[in-house]
Amino acid sequence: MTLYLPIAELSMNIFFIIGMGAIVGFLSGMFGVGGGFLMTPLLIFSGIPPIIAVATESNEITAASVSGALAHHRRGGVDMKMGLVLVLGGAVGALIGVQTLTILKALGQEDLIIKLAYFLFLGTVGFLMFWESVRAIVRQRSGYIPPPINREDRHKAWIHKLPFKIRFRKSRLYISILLPIGIGMLVGVLSGIMGVGGGFIMVPAMIYILGMPTNVVVGTSLFQIIFVTSLATINHSINTQSVDVFLAVLLLTGAVIGAQVGVRAGAKLKGEQLRALLALMVVLVGIKMGYDLIADPAEMYTEASIEGGGH
Amino acid sequence: MMRKACSLIALTVMLFLALAPAAHALVLDLSNKRIEIRYSFDGADIILFGTVGSSAAGSINDPFDVVVVVRGPEEAMIVRRKEKLGFIWINGESIEFPAAPGYYAVAANRPLNEIAATNEFLATGIGFENLHLAFEGGARRSQTVPEFKQALFDLRTSKGLYRQEEDSVTMIGEGLFRMDVHLPANVPVGEFQIDAYVFQNGQFKVRERIPLVVDKEGFERAVFNFAHESPFLYGLMAVVIALVAGWVAGVVGKKS
Repeated sequence: MTLYLPIAELSMNIFFIIGMGAIVGFLSGMFGVGGGFLMTPLLIFSGIPPIIAVATESNEITAASVSGALAHHRRGGVDMKMGLVLVLGGAVGALIGVQTLTILKALGQEDLIIKLAYFLFLGTVGFLMFWESVRAIVRQRSGYIPPPINREDRHKAWIHKLPFKIRFRKSRLYISILLPIGIGMLVGVLSGIMGVGGGFIMVPAMIYILGMPTNVVVGTSLFQIIFVTSLATINHSINTQSVDVFLAVLLLTGAVIGAQVGVRAGAKLKGEQLRALLALMVVLVGIKMGYDLIADPAEMYTEASIEGGGH
Repeated sequence: MMRKACSLIALTVMLFLALAPAAHALVLDLSNKRIEIRYSFDGADIILFGTVGSSAAGSINDPFDVVVVVRGPEEAMIVRRKEKLGFIWINGESIEFPAAPGYYAVAANRPLNEIAATNEFLATGIGFENLHLAFEGGARRSQTVPEFKQALFDLRTSKGLYRQEEDSVTMIGEGLFRMDVHLPANVPVGEFQIDAYVFQNGQFKVRERIPLVVDKEGFERAVFNFAHESPFLYGLMAVVIALVAGWVAGVVGKKS
């Protein structure tokens, strides 16, 4: 059963789209990630033009984050104040990211920047995550217990020297507002360029740079992702008219179902094992994107219609 | 007075019709002149019918050949060539074709090279290689244009949008012929022109044109227009849909 997607301007099998949503939803439910970094490459791989994949996926992540953030909010796992500060930076970042992609699209290099960003960020983050979780597993087996880190020592000295300090009660932090704004901005840029929520950068940054307690990290990250991807969606709509609502709705239908199953499957695995598996997946996607840039292309030429033609 | 004028016109028309057949030896019709793209659109097949009557050019008893050219709406297209920069491949040189056909098909009752000489097709502009495509780029690039034009043809052929001699014209007899026009799911929307050319003994004789319209209809059209005419509101709507869907999913997920 095929459906004509009015913005992507092609026909696709409905069950294929829902199935892709379900697989990514399963993984995101299992690992507690948004899944944008998997979905966008999958969409591109299945023939959706990259810019439409990125824009549409932003739209789908909004929905996925809302349901995730709601669940965390019920458990008191969202630091609203921190979230809003991150959004402040994220809004500016998303604008920069989408503008960058629009300009690069005009130059015919959007493919390059999308793949390069995937390779660099997924490769690095995935490798670090993998290393960290494997070390944790090995240490656990050998019975090594890491010495507890003193809460006062969580921050490096330069972080305390930054001005405009603010108190974040829920995260039990007293830090410069510039720090979360800066992190929010970086993630916003990535969100605009890569069509991801950016949780894979946001979560480690919150833990290692901001020093937030882990129980509010995922909820707050999801909370800010709602706003950043919403803004990215609107920006993409205005700049390139490349958000396909039909595609987004079908994807999220599958994702919702998949996520329910994924959460149950994830509960059966240990934390370190989950992290190692997730890291492996992240690295593989990053390597695949990097390989596409290096490998000799099967087709030396590419062809594209130039937007703005009257349809 | 009025009556006299009318009968004079009628007489002129009749006289014209009596003499006209010589000029209108070729008649075409389509099984469907308007293709509507709706949610279930997965490409379309339409049938072109044509008949060749006797004319000053010769009678139908003589063998003749038919070549049909289908041209879709013109689009601005850009072709880029990949170049290696250090380790990675990037899009390098590019040539823009501001008015390339969005769909192009050539079909005939037998291979083109058996119907007439290359010159004859060049003169009539039949075949992608004989299309005069304008391009944008400096004089330096003019040497590489043929390569890029060929690349455009190959890429669009692989997408099913250019179909040169992939379909054929069936001769039914008594001057009647038909052709199945295949429009893929990714067909561009707009006005199409279908031209049928009659050749006899390797010579071009007569040409006839029939238009075809492909358009998005109903909901698909509404969504597309909305996205392009009020992009901000469209984006806002997309976000609201996502927020509501996520909220519903969150509530349902909690209960299950």
